[in-house]
Amino acid sequence: MTREIAEVLISGIALGSVYAIMSVGMTLVYGVSRVFNFAYGSFYIWGAYLAWLLFGAFSGMSYPVVFAIVIPVMFLFGLGVERAVCAPLRRKAEWQMLTVMSTLGLALFLDNASLVAFGPHKKSLPPLLAGNMNIAGFVVSTHEMVTLAIAISVMVGIGLFLGRTRLGMKMRAVAQDGVGARIVGIQTNRVFSYAFALSTALAAIAGILLAPKYFMYPQGGWEILIKAWIVVAFGGLGSVKGTIYSAFILGIAEAFVGWHFGLQWPEVFWFALMLGVLAIRPRGLFGTGE
Amino acid sequence: MLTKVRLMKLDRESITLLIMLAVLLLLPAYFHNDQYIMHILIMCLIYSVVAVGWDFMLGYAGIFTFGQFGFFAIGAYASGILTLHLGIPVPLGVIIGGLIAAGAGIIIGLPCLRLRGAYIALVTFAFHLILIPLINSDFGRAIGTGSTRGLLGVPPLAVGSYSFSVADKIPWYYILLGVAFLSFFAIYRITRSSIGLAFVSLRDSNKLAKSFGVDDFKYKLMVFGISAFFTGMIGAFYAHYTGIVSTRILGLDIFLMVMVMLVIGGMGRFPGAAIGAFIVTFLSEALRPLGEYRLFIFGAIVVAVIVLLPEGLMGVLFPTGRVGPGERFGRFIRRTFTRQPSKNSGKELL
Repeated sequence: MTREIAEVLISGIALGSVYAIMSVGMTLVYGVSRVFNFAYGSFYIWGAYLAWLLFGAFSGMSYPVVFAIVIPVMFLFGLGVERAVCAPLRRKAEWQMLTVMSTLGLALFLDNASLVAFGPHKKSLPPLLAGNMNIAGFVVSTHEMVTLAIAISVMVGIGLFLGRTRLGMKMRAVAQDGVGARIVGIQTNRVFSYAFALSTALAAIAGILLAPKYFMYPQGGWEILIKAWIVVAFGGLGSVKGTIYSAFILGIAEAFVGWHFGLQWPEVFWFALMLGVLAIRPRGLFGTGE
Repeated sequence: MLTKVRLMKLDRESITLLIMLAVLLLLPAYFHNDQYIMHILIMCLIYSVVAVGWDFMLGYAGIFTFGQFGFFAIGAYASGILTLHLGIPVPLGVIIGGLIAAGAGIIIGLPCLRLRGAYIALVTFAFHLILIPLINSDFGRAIGTGSTRGLLGVPPLAVGSYSFSVADKIPWYYILLGVAFLSFFAIYRITRSSIGLAFVSLRDSNKLAKSFGVDDFKYKLMVFGISAFFTGMIGAFYAHYTGIVSTRILGLDIFLMVMVMLVIGGMGRFPGAAIGAFIVTFLSEALRPLGEYRLFIFGAIVVAVIVLLPEGLMGVLFPTGRVGPGERFGRFIRRTFTRQPSKNSGKELL
C-alpha cells in the first residue's frame, strides 16, 4: 500500500513537472502584458514539429543540438509574431479582446499550416533517454526523470532570470505597474515583446519534452492549451510561483484520482477543483488584485 | 442635443438592419432553384443569431464568454428530445428549448459573477467542453440524447397542419429570416433600453456604475439569460431544420468560425456580427475548393483583418460611430478610474 502510494506520488510529480513547463510560459506572458495567448498551443506543437524536422533532416541529431536550434528559432519567431500581431493592437481601446481574437486567428493559421505541411497523422519524437532507471527501489522511466530534471532547471532558470537579471526585473516591474514602469524609463513595448518571445520558446521546450510521450498532431496544441489554462487559472493568472505550485498540486491530484477512481475522472476532478477554488478565490490560489 | 444624437445613432443601426432585411427578402428570387445556396443562406441566418447573441455578451456587456455553443447545443438537444420522445409540438419545443438554455445560462452565469476576463472565458469554455462527454455518457443516454450516435429523426417544424420539409428550403428560409430578425430587433431594443445602458456602463466603468447603484449581479445574470435564450432557441431551430443533433455542433471548427464572424463584422457594433455571419459563411464556402489550405488562408485573413481593421466591417462603414458623447464620457471615466497597465504604447510618456 505505502509502496503503491509512493509510486503514484512519483508519477504525479513527473506529471506536475510537465504541467509546470507547459503553463509557465503562458502565465509569464499574461502577467507581463495581460495578453491571453490562444496560439500558445500552436507554438507548443510547432516546437515539437521543428524538432521532428531536425531529427528527420540530419541523421545523428541529438537533443542538446535540437534544443540549441529550436529555442533561438522559436524565440525569434515569437518576437516577430508579437511585433506583427499583438503590438499594433495595443493602442486600441479594446486591445485585450482583440489580442485574444488575433491570437485565435493565428492559432487557426498555424494549426492548418502544420496540417498542410505535416499531414494529420500522429508523429512522435525519440525519448530523451531510453530505458528505465532504479531510484531507491522504484523503477521509473529515464525519460520522465530527465523531463523532471529539465523542468526543474527551466523553472529555476526562470526564477533567476526574473529575480536577478535587468530584463527579468523589468518584466516584474511592468507586471506590477505598467504606468510606473514607463515613468522610470522602461520601454514597456520591448519588455512585452521579450516576454512573448520567451513564452514562445518555453512552449516549444514543453512541446519537445512531451512529444515523445503524448505524440504530436496539428490539433494537439488545443488539449495542451486548455490544460495549461486550467493550471494557470488555478494558480492565479500571471503568478509564476502560483503556476508552479498548482501544476504540481494538479499533477499529483490527477495521479491519485486516476489511481483511485479510474482514468475518466481526473478531468472532471480538475474542473470541479478549479470551480471550487475560483468560487473561494476568484483570482486563483496565488493571484493578487490587478 | 443628446437625444438628437441618440436618435441618429438609433437610425443608423436600424437602417443597416432594414437594408439587410430587404436584401435577404429578395435573395430567394434569384437563388430559389439552387438548393445548395439556399442551404448556406439558412445556415448563415442560424449562425448570425448565434453571433449576435455572443456579441451581446462580449461586445456590449463585456463578458468574455466562450460558452455560447453550449447553450446552442442545450437548446437543440432539449427541443429535439421533447418533440421526439415526448411528442410536444415543435413550436412549443423551440421555446422551451430556449428557456432551458436560458436557465443553463443563468446557472453558468452564477460562478462567473465574481470572476473577470480570462477566468470567465475559462469557466464558460469548461462548460462547453464538459457537455460533450456528458451528452455521450450514460446519463446523456438516459435523458435521450442518443449518446455518440446523436439524436436522429428530430421532427421538422410544423405549424398547424403545415409541415416544413427539408427538401423545400424556401419556407425554412423565410421562417428563419423572421426568427433571426425578430431576435436581432429584440436584442437591439435591449441594448438601447435602460437595461442596455446598464450593461454598457458596467462594461466601461464597472466601479463607477456599481457606485451609482447599478446592480452588477442582476444585470450580468440577465445578460447570460437573454443571450442563452436566443442562442438556445436558434439551436432548437437548427435541430428541427437538419433533423439530427450530435456533439459535432460543439466542434472547435464551428466555434472558431462564429468567433471569426464577430471579428469580421465588428465586436460591439450591432449588427456587425450578423453581417459577419454572412460574409464568413460565404467566404468559407468560396474557399472550399482550396481544400486543406482553406482554414490556413482563413486564419491569415482573420489576423490581417484584426490588425488592419480592429473594429471590423462596421468600423469601416461607420468609422466614427463609436465615439458619441456617451462613449467619450465612458472613456474618460474609464481612464480616470481604472488602472490599465499596458494600454498605451510607452512612447507617449517618454
